[in-house]
Amino acid sequence: MRVIKQKPMTLGERLYIFEAIRGLWTTLKHAARGLFCYDSLPTISYPEGQPEVRNTYRAKHRLMLRPDGTPRCVACGMCAAACPAHCIFIEATQSDDPRIEKRVMRFDIDHLTCVFCGLCVEACPVDALRMDTKVISLEHRTRDEFVSSLFDLTNWNPADYPDDKQSQMAPGGTLNKQALETWGMEVK
Amino acid sequence: MEIIESKTWVEWLITIGKFAFCFVPVLYILLLIPMERRGAGFMQDRQGPNRSYIKIPYFGKIRLLGYVQNMCDGTKLFFKEMFAPKGANKFLYYVAPAIPFAIVFLSPCVIPWFGPMVFEWGGKSVRIAGSIVDSDVGVLLLFGLSSLSAYGAVLAGWASKSKYSFLGALRTSSMTISYEVCLGLSMMGILLLAGSFNLTDIVNWQEHHAWGIVVQPVAFFCFLIASIAETGRAPFDVAEGEPELVAGYHTEYGAMQFGLFYMGEYSHICINSFLIATLFLGGYSVPFVTTETMQAHMGGSLAILCGVLAFLALAFLHMIYRYSAKLAKRAQSNRLEILQEYKLYKLIAWLAVVVFVALGACAWLFYNPANFVVNGFAVGSLATAVGTALIHLLVLVVKSVFFCWVWIWVRWTLPRFRYDHVMHLGWKIILNIALINLVVTAVIAKLVGGN
Repeated sequence: MRVIKQKPMTLGERLYIFEAIRGLWTTLKHAARGLFCYDSLPTISYPEGQPEVRNTYRAKHRLMLRPDGTPRCVACGMCAAACPAHCIFIEATQSDDPRIEKRVMRFDIDHLTCVFCGLCVEACPVDALRMDTKVISLEHRTRDEFVSSLFDLTNWNPADYPDDKQSQMAPGGTLNKQALETWGMEVK
Repeated sequence: MEIIESKTWVEWLITIGKFAFCFVPVLYILLLIPMERRGAGFMQDRQGPNRSYIKIPYFGKIRLLGYVQNMCDGTKLFFKEMFAPKGANKFLYYVAPAIPFAIVFLSPCVIPWFGPMVFEWGGKSVRIAGSIVDSDVGVLLLFGLSSLSAYGAVLAGWASKSKYSFLGALRTSSMTISYEVCLGLSMMGILLLAGSFNLTDIVNWQEHHAWGIVVQPVAFFCFLIASIAETGRAPFDVAEGEPELVAGYHTEYGAMQFGLFYMGEYSHICINSFLIATLFLGGYSVPFVTTETMQAHMGGSLAILCGVLAFLALAFLHMIYRYSAKLAKRAQSNRLEILQEYKLYKLIAWLAVVVFVALGACAWLFYNPANFVVNGFAVGSLATAVGTALIHLLVLVVKSVFFCWVWIWVRWTLPRFRYDHVMHLGWKIILNIALINLVVTAVIAKLVGGN
């Protein structure tokens, strides 16, 4: 066991008044900063000014798209199995593409139940699910609106992810044309 | 009729007009509340309340640098329902908040707002005192009145029928009584030197000798600490210490009844800071310049005053321009609204600069009171007296605002004392220091050979 001996207060500290003046000097410096360098204050006026969000931040989910616009998801259910909050609901159906077995018919994420742990993203074998939308505040009127549907999850703009190669291969991205040639076929 | 004819109309006008100074503490509330709230924010590296706005058609939103928030809060307090707890003494319960607030209008009556106005009017010399009541008991009257506000707290605590209110009231009354002793004793030194209870005389003595803070530094500290304690603000707010007593004597009050207590507290701060400025910081007197010198060079004095005001307006402009430049670069969705509002401030500040510079230049060039003779007598001397009074008033306001800031500053810096520590500090330390200070002052004054 370690015993830390407290230093006894010196006379100047016990007189209180000098320490009080030192404290007043500290607060005066802070007040002067607020008054004369108002713009350097660390707070942001929130709803109008948004905080900077890193792209590794686990925010709202999105589903990645193939070059032809279908979700990359193969409905394997790994994410739903990995989810500790049981907030992912998947229904699978037969894929139109002969090379692929299944596609998702329904892919719902209940954001009221979600704990934003990111295990679903780790679990996904085909890199279909990501959490890099930087949407940090979800506000809706009803509980049902918090459940993101397949349409909601795939409805993102490649222009918002300029540095990400995978996102640029989706329809509307800069690498889409090239990727489509490699992908090879169009869905009827 | 005789009493009416004993004074000319100008004297009557100024004498009655002086009653407007009763409202100064109430006006100070309007200044102190935003100062406290945003000052507290700045000390904690926050922005403070600044979100409320008034929407003006065809212009945009106006936030008045966060001032609108206080108007909103005041309106909210005003329109809330008034209620009394079950079993409360209704009459005392409703009367109690009015007491500290009513005292506010009475206590500033003896504070000299400007030096005695002496001017020639109608061929005779006229003297008008700077305080509303030019009384020789002066400062004693002020103490008597301001200590009455303790009744508000005591009655509120008793009438609310709540143990927290009751304990808070007990603490408030005991603290007010013990610190009033210290307050009175620490003030005695300067009264001894000036040889008068009349505040005008005290300021006059300081103007011609030295400021109270120079001759009585120990008394100044004692007085400052005692008067902070007397207003019941942090670090001496044991009477409303929220971990122990919810909110002290105004626990059961809501709406504007609480608002009246709140305003009473702020006005008390205002009056106490006026008192400190008057007793220890030379009151209305301008530092290093006597009133006679100032009156001899009235035009120059007014020009310097206008110059200072213009400089302040320019400093404000500098700040606004810097914020605008920074804000224009930020990705903040409401920046255009704020920039629009800043445009208005820029316009007003530039106008103020132009007006102040023009006024100052006019005063410097054209206003020479010695040459100002109309119909055979110097009318200019009234203008000189009014100009002097204006400068005096502004100087007093600057000094008292500084002390109001000290109140806020101390509150947001020092943690609350324990109740027994407060009593220990009051009775065993400050009282003794004040007594020793009084004895030493008396001995030195006798040896040096004052009055």
